[in-house]
Amino acid sequence: MSGINANIGISIIMTAILYGTPLVFAGIGELFAERSGVLNLGVEGMMLMGAVMAFLVSQRLPGPGWLVLLVAVLVGMAISALMALIHAFVSITLRANQIVSGLTLTIFAGVIGLSSYIAEDNGIGGKAGKHQFSDLNLFGLKNLPVIGPVLFHQSAMVYVSWLLVVGAVLYLYRTRIGLYLRSVGESPQAADAMGVSVTRYRYLHTLAGGALAGAGGSLFTLQIATNWIDGLTAGAGWIAIALVIYSFWRPELLIVGAYLYGAFTSVGFDLQARGITSIPSEFWSALPYLMTIIALVLVSVSSVRMRLGTPAGLGIPYVRGES
Amino acid sequence: MIRFVARENVPRWLTFAVPLASVVLAAIVAGIVLAATGHNPLTTYRHIVQASITQPGAFSQTLVSMTPLMFTGLAAAVAFRMRLWNIGAEGQLYWGAIGASGAGLLFHGLPGPLLIAVMLAVGLLAGMLWASIPGVLRAYFNTNEILTTLMLNYVAANLMYYLIFDSTSYWRDLTSPSARVFPQGKNLPAAANWPALQVGSLTIPFGLLFAIGLAMLLWGMIRATRYGFEMRVLADSPSVGKYAGIRTRRKILSLMALSGGIAGLGGASQVGDFSHVLDPRGLEQAGFGYTGIVVAALARYNPFAVVVTSFFIGMLVNAGFALQGPGFPVGLTGTMEGILLFCVLGAEIFTRYRIAVRLPHRPAAAPPVEARPAVPHGGMS
Amino acid sequence: MRNDPTMANGQPAFPPGGTPVPDRAVEAPGDAGIAAAMAARGITKRFPGVVANSRVEFEVLPGEIHALLGENGAGKTTLCNVLTGLYRPEEGYVELGGEPCRFHSPRDAHEAGIFMVHQHFSLVGPLTVAENVILGWSRQSGMWFSPRRVEREVARVAEQFQMAIDPGAKIWQLSVGEQQRVEILKALYRRARILVLDEPTTVLTPQEVRQLFSTLRGMAAAGTSVVFISHKLPEVLAVSDRVTVLRAGQAVGTVRTADADARSLAHLMVGRDIVLTRRERAARNHLGEAVLGLDDVNAKGDLGTPALTGVSLRVQAGEILGVAGVAGNGQRELAEVVAGERPGTSGTVTIAGRPQRGTPWEAIHAGLGYVPEERLGVGIAPGMTIADNLMLKSYREAGHGPVLHTKQALQNAAESIKRFDIVARGPKTLARELSGGNIQRLLLARELSGHPKILIAASPTRGLDVAATDSVRKILAQSAEHGVGVLLISEDLDEILDLSDRIAVMYRGRVVGVVDRDDADLDRIGLMMAGVES
Repeated sequence: MSGINANIGISIIMTAILYGTPLVFAGIGELFAERSGVLNLGVEGMMLMGAVMAFLVSQRLPGPGWLVLLVAVLVGMAISALMALIHAFVSITLRANQIVSGLTLTIFAGVIGLSSYIAEDNGIGGKAGKHQFSDLNLFGLKNLPVIGPVLFHQSAMVYVSWLLVVGAVLYLYRTRIGLYLRSVGESPQAADAMGVSVTRYRYLHTLAGGALAGAGGSLFTLQIATNWIDGLTAGAGWIAIALVIYSFWRPELLIVGAYLYGAFTSVGFDLQARGITSIPSEFWSALPYLMTIIALVLVSVSSVRMRLGTPAGLGIPYVRGES
Repeated sequence: MIRFVARENVPRWLTFAVPLASVVLAAIVAGIVLAATGHNPLTTYRHIVQASITQPGAFSQTLVSMTPLMFTGLAAAVAFRMRLWNIGAEGQLYWGAIGASGAGLLFHGLPGPLLIAVMLAVGLLAGMLWASIPGVLRAYFNTNEILTTLMLNYVAANLMYYLIFDSTSYWRDLTSPSARVFPQGKNLPAAANWPALQVGSLTIPFGLLFAIGLAMLLWGMIRATRYGFEMRVLADSPSVGKYAGIRTRRKILSLMALSGGIAGLGGASQVGDFSHVLDPRGLEQAGFGYTGIVVAALARYNPFAVVVTSFFIGMLVNAGFALQGPGFPVGLTGTMEGILLFCVLGAEIFTRYRIAVRLPHRPAAAPPVEARPAVPHGGMS
Repeated sequence: MRNDPTMANGQPAFPPGGTPVPDRAVEAPGDAGIAAAMAARGITKRFPGVVANSRVEFEVLPGEIHALLGENGAGKTTLCNVLTGLYRPEEGYVELGGEPCRFHSPRDAHEAGIFMVHQHFSLVGPLTVAENVILGWSRQSGMWFSPRRVEREVARVAEQFQMAIDPGAKIWQLSVGEQQRVEILKALYRRARILVLDEPTTVLTPQEVRQLFSTLRGMAAAGTSVVFISHKLPEVLAVSDRVTVLRAGQAVGTVRTADADARSLAHLMVGRDIVLTRRERAARNHLGEAVLGLDDVNAKGDLGTPALTGVSLRVQAGEILGVAGVAGNGQRELAEVVAGERPGTSGTVTIAGRPQRGTPWEAIHAGLGYVPEERLGVGIAPGMTIADNLMLKSYREAGHGPVLHTKQALQNAAESIKRFDIVARGPKTLARELSGGNIQRLLLARELSGHPKILIAASPTRGLDVAATDSVRKILAQSAEHGVGVLLISEDLDEILDLSDRIAVMYRGRVVGVVDRDDADLDRIGLMMAGVES
């Protein structure tokens, strides 16, 4: 009996990690950008660009699987960073409204935009992927009970995401630059007065956010779906943004939230696969979005938010001398 | 070193020249993107103009594309102007469509004009109610409306799909032979078809005229009513609004509801003017709500300007449909909208600031200068 | 040496334009032959519409405390911003140890050992004292940051200069005086050669001021130069070695403090003997009913800590009640509670006999006028026209049902502009294009045309030049004569003493004493402000 329960448990965890990992990448990326004071609503668009470019590379580039995948992810990251650069330039240097600029990025790169354009122009829609990330067998330990599959039977990107979270925590709280980053986000005036270049930190971290969103997006075409459909991220970028908010801008909480989402995403599929069809599939599709709303309300109601939370300089263009 | 320096006074001609210049810039940038991906920009532009204006029937089709964008553009403009980021026009429009199609089916016995009025009213109400959810959350719990409105779009979309594809709801066509093969909505009775004005070869949908009237009404409201005054104060400075005793929370809620209601009217127009059925797939693919944001942002949130920008984006959208194919991929529409909006957004700084280039050099020690010991403005010491 | 109208540096005595050049007392730089540690040479700094500094010459010697004296708007802060790299001058340059140098940013100045403590601190609230101190300091070793090691280092520096501070405390937990110490610590940690302080005593109690002065003397003794911006003569006389006076953007004289006295400095500062309006105390039997009453009011501040405790006050029609106290002791919250912008947790506020439930709308209706401390952005909407701003409280009655009477509003605006001497192009001018004095006049015009029963004036003359200050005070005095009760909240003690009938002193959210103007004197009030007497 316990064996079956354990199996269900493990399968839930595995799917949670599968669907949650893109959110970890995109979420940590957006966390960095927001910690520097830049709100980037273009995550959905950037993820789609990462997805389509990575897929394109994996279809066209000859070579051994691992190399193609590596290049594909890197290209996806580079292109997404380029997208982020547009948003950064328009909203930081040209001081446009960050919200509108981010939305423009999503429209520009999103489901009726550049990502579909590239897909159609190169004819990759609907075709099966040639390469995909498969689960590794780390240290040969994948057959250990319970922790075996969870810890040692994941794909390379999952391990990268774990390193990313640990690195992010160390970066934010134990490095000098991370300290400066936090100050830029909380009080750009103070940081500027102390000689920290607000503009440079914002640009760099927005670009990093873009690159990580691209990495997250690439997982959709290289692991989860392994083919291209217009708009296949289906709002994951928005959920990543929400995650940043109610992880209180802390990476260690964000990964937990991402996996919770992953679990909820798959519950619907799971139940349907087991023949429980009384609840319509649309309900399960809508569930993650409903959950986000509830979580957001809870976060905004709690007075704790005032103290530990929003970087105070978020969303406001910084101009020296004007404040 | 290049810096931005605030202009001392803003010449009027600049407020027109800058947007115009940014449109030209956008055309150039888009041209570069087209050329880089193997399409001839001039040919593409020519095709766009042909497919949206010059070819027979094209202009009328552009008006069809323009109509929903006017509604969602007005909806976004009204909200964004007050820094209420209602991204939920998409879902609010869906609800308007749901409501209006349901009303059209239910009240099929009513005479034409009355039925249209009922559809409008139900569409308006449905959009208002849906927008009130994030409105309440924002007004009373200070929950970020960007995410809540957005999430509700997905929820509304799922609901629409459920009604037509996954249930035996009132909206679903359960009888006709084609419906047994593939799920679709019930067609509305002929009485629920909204009229159109024929001017020569031009067909002007009723919804479009209604939207233009709505734009004028909104403009008048903002400029000359108490409600509009309070809205302008809150848009300029929420802290001043609080100081003046304006009931900020009620204002936020009512503005969100208004914005949603306008989007709902757009949904009613879709059903009444064009589709005559509840079509989830069509509505979702069209993305009127999101395009409306582009329209509103290009119009700098001015209701009259929305009429103009919705026409131009309508041109683009229409051309996108008509030219669909290898020469004109689907994604080109969004790409060009994005380029256009980025250029307009980015250029705005030039209306209030100018570029000053400082060459690194050492100024002379005692230069001749007009000594003007003016009394400085208060606040600097 | 003083008041010697000599020409200096080849500047003409009468510049084109006919404005007589102010008296200039010349002090040979370093008459003992010591080179200046830092100097400003012919600095001119312009902003849109105004010349903030005009060919200023200024020198600081090593190890001296040099005061920069002038009234509001004289150009002191601007000059120091140029000296410390925040602004680039249009003309002139900065000299360091005799060598000209260019600062592109405050960071360059920091590298050269020059630091400034501004009126608004550059501190990051959620970070600790130690984290703030090391922020941006490039001479630190390595990539890693160990909180404990940094805290120890900061504690060591603080001890060296006898400053009491907890390096691990978060900034938002500290008092204003402690935060200022953190700012100074930043400079000390980086071995500052020159420290500039901009109006440092505005936010301190008299005891904290004494502490600050002893810290500064310690620094000067150790060889650091201190530049001390102030508009308060007593302090300048107490702590500085030399004084440079700025007036209307120009340097009008540098004297040794030992050779100067209050009168001569004041004369340099304003260039004439100004007698500001000193209001006659209102006869007690001319006063009317109580128009404002607070009974045992408690309220919480922004961070949830108590801001007002057991406050009880009364203002009668025709009297001016001045509220004195160092900024941050609850004055802002007091104004907000009376205006209905902040809910009190207990106690009652009564306006013109009507108990208030705590909304701005109710207060306005009961007869409240409120001139807030922050003008642009609280009292005045910067992006709206003068006419719109004047309508801000009366728009509800200014029309036919939902529609407003715009033409009428424009006419009324034109009248108000004339009556209150507002300098503007017309009623359609945007508020943000007005100068500080005119914005204040606009505010008063609006509040007074509503015929309020009680007027709250919070820091009404802060940042205004002498003429504007005078006219604002006249307006306040006149309104009291017309039967308006005035609650005057101000950091400027002289203003309170000049205008008020009675004076209430606030300290840590409590009213620690209410005295008649005639019985009050500066020292006693100062002690009350520091919480000593009650």
